[in-house]
Amino acid sequence: MHPFRWLVFAAVAITMLEVHAQPPERRDPRWATWSSRTSAFNPDISAILDVFYHHDDTDDGIADRLGELPGFRAHHDDHGDGHSHGQTPRQGFNLRHIELVVSAAVDPYAKGMVNVAITEDAAELEEAWFETLSLPFGLKLKGGKFYSDMGYINPQHPHQWDFADQPLVYRLLLGEHGLNDAGVQLSWLAPTSWYLLLGVEAFQGTLDAFSYHGEDPLPKHDAPRIGVGWLKLGPPLEGPHGVQLGVFGVLGRQQEEHDGDADGEPDHWLDGDSAIWGVDAVYKYDAPHPYGAGDWVLQGEYARRDRSLDLVAHDLRTDLVGRALDTAQDGYYVQAVYGVLSRWRVGVRWEQVGLTNRDDLPTGDRERRNASWKASGMVDFTPSEFSRFRVQISRGRYELDDGSEDATELYLQAIFSIGAHGAHKF
Amino acid sequence: MNSVCAKVFSILAVVPSFLVGTAAASLRVVTTTSDLAALAREVGGDRVDVRSICTGREDPHMVQGKPSFILAARDADLWIRVGLDLELGWEPVVLEGARNPRILPGRAGHLDAGALIQPLDVPTEPVSRDQGDVHPSGNPHYWIDPWNGRVVAGGIAERFAQLDPTGADQYAVRLADFQRRLDERMFGASLLERLSGDEAWAALHAGELDTRAAAVGVPLGGWYAAMRPVRGQRILTYHRSWTYFAQRFGLEIVGEIEPKPGIPPSAAWLDSLGDRARAAGVRLILQEPFYSDRAARRLAERIGAAVVVAPISVGAEPEAADYLSLLDTIVARLTSTTR
Repeated sequence: MHPFRWLVFAAVAITMLEVHAQPPERRDPRWATWSSRTSAFNPDISAILDVFYHHDDTDDGIADRLGELPGFRAHHDDHGDGHSHGQTPRQGFNLRHIELVVSAAVDPYAKGMVNVAITEDAAELEEAWFETLSLPFGLKLKGGKFYSDMGYINPQHPHQWDFADQPLVYRLLLGEHGLNDAGVQLSWLAPTSWYLLLGVEAFQGTLDAFSYHGEDPLPKHDAPRIGVGWLKLGPPLEGPHGVQLGVFGVLGRQQEEHDGDADGEPDHWLDGDSAIWGVDAVYKYDAPHPYGAGDWVLQGEYARRDRSLDLVAHDLRTDLVGRALDTAQDGYYVQAVYGVLSRWRVGVRWEQVGLTNRDDLPTGDRERRNASWKASGMVDFTPSEFSRFRVQISRGRYELDDGSEDATELYLQAIFSIGAHGAHKF
Repeated sequence: MNSVCAKVFSILAVVPSFLVGTAAASLRVVTTTSDLAALAREVGGDRVDVRSICTGREDPHMVQGKPSFILAARDADLWIRVGLDLELGWEPVVLEGARNPRILPGRAGHLDAGALIQPLDVPTEPVSRDQGDVHPSGNPHYWIDPWNGRVVAGGIAERFAQLDPTGADQYAVRLADFQRRLDERMFGASLLERLSGDEAWAALHAGELDTRAAAVGVPLGGWYAAMRPVRGQRILTYHRSWTYFAQRFGLEIVGEIEPKPGIPPSAAWLDSLGDRARAAGVRLILQEPFYSDRAARRLAERIGAAVVVAPISVGAEPEAADYLSLLDTIVARLTSTTR
């Protein structure tokens, strides 16, 4: 994992040298704000409320079904009880969270933002980062806790999604919060006639998706334990069309402890790497009508995860120690959203997970499963730039250990934004 | 993964040496709107390369920060914005994405044209979003007042000269020529043979233009004279984007078809607006081309008024190809319908 550490050193060194090289400037007192004089020098503060009602026809709730999906089973659920706690959506009313966002320019060289997610039970730091504003050569350094810019949907906050729920492939490979961790990012906008943005990131590695225990009998590994690279490419289209294509790769340490005999105590431990790679594409058409009428957004992403683990200890089957567990899982989604009328949009999404869903076990056995699918339709209404109401219906077939199960879901969602809400990326 | 990292670093290390030598032959200017681009072209001529983010056919509040906009901003020496929060929804994404420190707010390469003019509709009471998409710093649709066009062109020329001192004389000559043409279109050529443009504008601002013209014994022409039959008329507009134009030419705006800025009208609102408009004797409804004119036509039929759809930005229609022809078009539309 040494390259990740070098990345951190290099990034910090570049920033220090470059900021040092820039003389302090006299500047306009209005500098500190992008926005209006009403907030000059004060940070922009906003709160986003995201609430929804959810109903589905499964016995234990869809969150539980997804937690049980073979091959994708969330690792933190493998400790014994098999149930997922505090996972959304639950039946009935859900207060996804309230995002409290504070952002401002720190000084002429950087801007910062803090995003605290408040749930019904707790407050957690969703994001807290700085990013440079004035590095030369198209470079930008970002550090703190933030969403990785891998993929298209990963850096988006839930209120920016065009559907009430996360695509299955993201939820199952990266967890409910996506790839969000403490780390550093260096990105570079190439001086090319096409839009070409390259980024490398190093993260601490404290996620569900890249789980790390570091306790006996598992070996310790120094952070950063996750490395990410991505590339975004956009042709220089004129007029109302916008296209962005992306590829991404994530490589991280992966450690797991499992309870094979279901006695509530872990009995075998695995250590190795988990790698995710994928592609993403988005097309947007900005129709010459107000309030979003006639606009199109087409987007899709594919991602695949390969885990390559060694059995470092096994209390029940010492003969298997040293043998490998290799798994491969993947999934994709494609969706289209169209502005049917002023302020009204309709969208459809089709997704599959587990087209590849294979585990090569230390015992030499190979497990394979079929793909699950889900189809969703939504209608949303946007009274103003600061609020949105949505109805979504999803129908899916999930391939579980004991056969497939169908599930129908309903979402009624309301999103409100209060205060100086910032602009969204493409 | 290791080799990918190594490759990325070798690219990062090599590329800066390519970039050091990219000195521009002329000034590369990116404006947020087509109107600012038109003014920048008038002042800069061939010496500057001007690109606009908006084409004039869309609502400049509602633009998406696309990759191609980021590319334009990346290469710009000067970024000119309308300001007064017009571009708030997308400008930060473009400027931060472009990684071009030269054009960040407060730098020489960032010109906020809104800071050059005297804003109207500045809220005097605390604002809240229940008033719709209000602009706390004032109404940003100032460019259709020819005086503001004249002032902004002056600010652009000054900034061009600062960034490209060798071209300063050229910019000054072009600015004077543009302002001369604008003044002639505004007041008519014969007045400007007797008064300087500055004197004519000063007289207009003091409310003495007619007496001044009578004193020097020449008839007033141009947009000013053409708009005379319409002066004092009460009108409705769609969005609150005609305030500056109406004030300059003496139209009285009684209300807007949008109940609140950015909120499309409901049937109940149109009913009450219709009653108000009829009581006020509204004969004219003015709106920009990118909104549907259905509500305006229905209302016009009810109250016996005419609907005038006029471009509010350069490039919105082929006739409005530059700044002066934009104003020609608006004046012609207004004066031909209201005889």
